Amino acid sequence: MNGTRVLLICLVIFIAACVKAPVFESHNQALLRSNYPIVRLNGNDIEPSYSLTFAAGNTTAVVVYRSYRYEYACHFTWDAAPGTVYEVTDQEDKYPLTLYRWVRTNRLWASRLSPLDPEQCVKN
Amino acid sequence: MLRAGKPLFTLRPFPTRSVATILLLLAVASTSQPVRSQDGILLPGLSALSVSDTQDAAIAFVNMTSSPGLEGATLELDGEGRQSQQWRSSLGFTAEVTLKQSVFNAYWGLALVGASLHDEIDLIADNGQPVHLDLTRHVVGLRGSLGLVLPIDEHLKVKPFLSLVRSDLNSKSTIDNLSATGPSAAPSGEARYKTSSNLLSSVATIDASYWQWRGNNKVELAAQFNLINTNSVSGDTPWLNVSSWERSVQLKGKYSGPTSLVSVGRPWRWNAYATYTDFISTNKFSLGYNKLIEIGAGMDWQINIEPLDWFGWRSIGWSVGLIKGDNVVGYNIGVTAQ
Repeated sequence: MNGTRVLLICLVIFIAACVKAPVFESHNQALLRSNYPIVRLNGNDIEPSYSLTFAAGNTTAVVVYRSYRYEYACHFTWDAAPGTVYEVTDQEDKYPLTLYRWVRTNRLWASRLSPLDPEQCVKN
Repeated sequence: MLRAGKPLFTLRPFPTRSVATILLLLAVASTSQPVRSQDGILLPGLSALSVSDTQDAAIAFVNMTSSPGLEGATLELDGEGRQSQQWRSSLGFTAEVTLKQSVFNAYWGLALVGASLHDEIDLIADNGQPVHLDLTRHVVGLRGSLGLVLPIDEHLKVKPFLSLVRSDLNSKSTIDNLSATGPSAAPSGEARYKTSSNLLSSVATIDASYWQWRGNNKVELAAQFNLINTNSVSGDTPWLNVSSWERSVQLKGKYSGPTSLVSVGRPWRWNAYATYTDFISTNKFSLGYNKLIEIGAGMDWQINIEPLDWFGWRSIGWSVGLIKGDNVVGYNIGVTAQ
């Protein structure tokens, strides 16, 4: 009985600590995270990354959706707000990838808001 | 700079051999014949009801409850000499897990499934007298699935996956007018049976889904093939110690579009769908049908959240569907989540 209670308490603590908002080093930073590799940021080629902190403001990013027949280089342009998290994910939408504003709602879940389609996805 | 034709990112090699092996095994196994522990007549003087018929019916009921792709349904069969009522339900989820560095992703799911059947069959004994079989079955099971998601292009994904289903089946049956079957029948003219068995089903599934957008409307098409091996073990009923192979196919089409409805800042979308399910190798006598067509409509609320910062939950909604099959009508009212 005690073991079950301890297990339940641990489970509740684990679940309650699941969704955490990132801590930024500077108040002018934003975060871009993606399930697919980010290969270019603000016009500069970068090592493929899945999470990047960058200066807020007008931002461009290229994220690659990979399939067996093609790779799709999806070009996003948006005005990134300071202290905000953005997320690129595959939602079987009009384009292979969609950019969302990621907002921590509470300890149990986060919301994906303000969907933004890429300007274009170049098939390679 | 981006250059057309040059890969942007080095991909992990496609596991063509593994997938080819799975497909080959599916093809070979799909030609396999059912394996039964024994055949023969269940009751003397009643050759219309064989052991294999009873085994098939038990396995078919479990498979038509627990196979991947099936949704809830309430069905009523009104056939010649047979009436039955059945419901099935499932509660579970599936999730795609991104494997960074790989083109393919992982796929997994868990579901709790359950169903109930009340079947009444009029049979003719060997001496020409009518006999009435009244049968009730209940099954509860847990299904776990694990597999891959292979994105072929921006509109097409193929999912090969394996599922294990552990289920418990309980049956109660009454056979009336048994005295008509001959001297060895129960003197009272009525026999009651209670059986129980534990089943383990292994299901190999290949699923292909295609989608295309037309403005703000989305067309989705999906095809699924299941190869099911079910092993039943019963301590109280020797003829329920049986192994069986079954195959099923499911085709689904869905059309969805936007609405002007918004709740808590999130939009609603309408949808209409049609589903065709065919348990190809199932004996039609087992449940009285083996093909079903469902046509329905629903509404999805685009909640778009990420529970536990782990997986995306796009929508929650409801749907209502009408179901039709050979001598079967039914409906499906359910909650949907994607």
